[in-house]
Formats: sequence, structure tokens, C-alpha cells
Amino acid sequence: MKTSAGSLESSDCLITISDSNKLEITIESVVFDQFGDQIQAVIEETLKEHNITKLFVQCFDKGALDYTIKSRLETAIKRRGENLE
Amino acid sequence: MSRSYLFIPGNTPSMIQNLDVFDSDAIIIDFEDSVTVFEKDSARILINNFLKKYSYNEVEIYVRINSADSPYFGDDVSSLHNLDITGFVLPKASVEGIRELCKLSDKAIIPIIESPLALLRVEDIAKEKNVTALLLGAEDYTKELGIKRTLEATEIFYARSIIAITANAYGLDAIDTPYTNKDNEEGLLIDATNAKNLGFTSKSLIHPNQVEIINQVFAPSLEEITEARRIIKKSEGSSKGAFSLDGKMIDLPIIEKAKKVLEKAKKYNL
Repeated sequence: MKTSAGSLESSDCLITISDSNKLEITIESVVFDQFGDQIQAVIEETLKEHNITKLFVQCFDKGALDYTIKSRLETAIKRRGENLE
Repeated sequence: MSRSYLFIPGNTPSMIQNLDVFDSDAIIIDFEDSVTVFEKDSARILINNFLKKYSYNEVEIYVRINSADSPYFGDDVSSLHNLDITGFVLPKASVEGIRELCKLSDKAIIPIIESPLALLRVEDIAKEKNVTALLLGAEDYTKELGIKRTLEATEIFYARSIIAITANAYGLDAIDTPYTNKDNEEGLLIDATNAKNLGFTSKSLIHPNQVEIINQVFAPSLEEITEARRIIKKSEGSSKGAFSLDGKMIDLPIIEKAKKVLEKAKKYNL
């Protein structure tokens, strides 16, 4: 099961999530050197809020702020839930 | 009492997070036409997280939700629950739609008058609870009539007149339809001035580069402010209900109008 949300436009990010037996996060970002750790933290925190411990998360970031990263991840999670129903 | 209402797409972070830099008095975050059916969920979550994190005192924030008869209406409204927005812009306005929205929220409502039927019922719409302004949606209105929009806008003269008169009669703001040619500044100036001369108090817009002209047109001019100050000064020194100023009769409605001009001037630091 794979779902996505967001875009590759400036100030946005594209998040794709899929099944995994562990927590895996990959990040590609135009500002990785400066903000890679922060992006990782936002993703981890959002997953924690949703009690998710096993998932493969791919984030292609184009300079998104924290609220956008959180939103795109939450949308992908919601779409995954809807697809599972 | 805003002069400009700028529409920005509800699923575009680059626009949303800069909403306070455009100098528009009000922002309308759009969940309707600029957000595809597949991205409605994404826009709702984005705006919810955005408004939880950021707040703005200098700009009014409205959200154009989907119409009350659409399948997206309920989710749109509930996604904005408890967030700091000024109100809702409700497309395809009807009395029934406004009442549906009032069941879910007490916030201000700006109905978009964009069909011949809505125009016929505009007074009923204006009287509904929580309605604070009327907005003309000329693109859909002319589409329903099967007529073309023109730069001269003669085809919407009647609709503009009725909406402006009704809004003013019920103490509401009258918001004009957007001018869709974003590169024609001269046309925008003429169009906005025509709307103001019919009684509109403000104009909606679709591109940030239209803000400056619209703010100028719908702000009181220096001449209007000076005249208003003279009227108020003379009225304060007069014990009569009506008096003469420069040979013109000044009575209560003119004094009230002068007060409004000064209120606007104060609000916009003029």
C-alpha cells in the first residue's frame, strides 16, 4: 500500500509512505544540510502523534516549512487509512 | 470594512505562508475552484495546521469553502472548527445554504451572488443571520445567463447595482467581482472605480499585483477626507439638524457618511 501527498513545487514537499516492518525515513531536500535534522524531527514527531511505529516514509522537500511537512505526511496517512477501509 | 479581498489557492504553501505580505486588507483562502477534487483533503489539513501555528492581526482571513450542496461542505467547515478565521465565503449563495452553515458555525458569512436566482433573492440573503457582506461572482453569473464578460462590464451593470444597493440598505459591505485580466492596470482602475461609483465598498481580486490599485480606489481620497472633516467640525458646532456648508445643504445622512469616511481614513492611516 503506497500513498502520497504534496508536490514538488517551491515551499512544498512530496511525501510518499508505504508498508514496512520498521520505521524508515529517507529525505531529499534542497536545504538538507541546513534543515535535514529538523525535517526528520517533524516527520518523527508527526508519526508519534499518530502512534505509527512501522512505516517507510520518503520525503522530497522543496523548502517546505514544518507545518507543510506535517500536513503532507498527515494527508498521506489519512489517504492510506481511507484506502485500507 | 476591508478594501481588498485577495483569493489565494488553499493548497499552495508558497502563497499561504506569505498571505500577510500582499498588503490586501483581507485574504480569502480558497477550498473551492482552485483546489481539485483530489486535493480537497490535502488543502483542509494544510490550512488547519497553518492556522494552528500562525496568527495574523493585520489581515482578515476568510475561507471560501465549497457550496452547501456539495459533498465537501461539511468536511470543509469542520476542518476550520476553533481556528482563528474571520469568517466564511460561501459560493453559490442561497438562503438554505446560509442556514446550513449557521447550524455549524457562528462566524461571519460572505455569500457569493453568482446566479440569476441568487440575484433575485439577494434581499432575503442579505437578511440572513451572520451575513456581513455580499460578493458578486460575475464569472458564474454570466455563465449561467449564457453571456460574455466584457471589459466595459455593461452586462453586469444591473447585478452590480442591485447588490450594492441591497448591501448598503442592510449595512453590509458590498464586494465587487474580481477583474480577471491581471495585466491590464488601466482596465482594473476603470473597473474598480465604476464599482465604487455604484456603491461597492471593496473589491475581490485574484492576483497580488492588483492590490495597490484596489486599495487606492476604495480608500477615501484626500479631498473626501478634508470635506468630511469640515462637515463633522461644522456639525459639532451646530445645534440644528441641518445646516449649510459652501452653499450645500448638510443633514444627518451626509454627516453619517462623513463619519464613515473618517473611520475608513483612520483605519488606513490616511
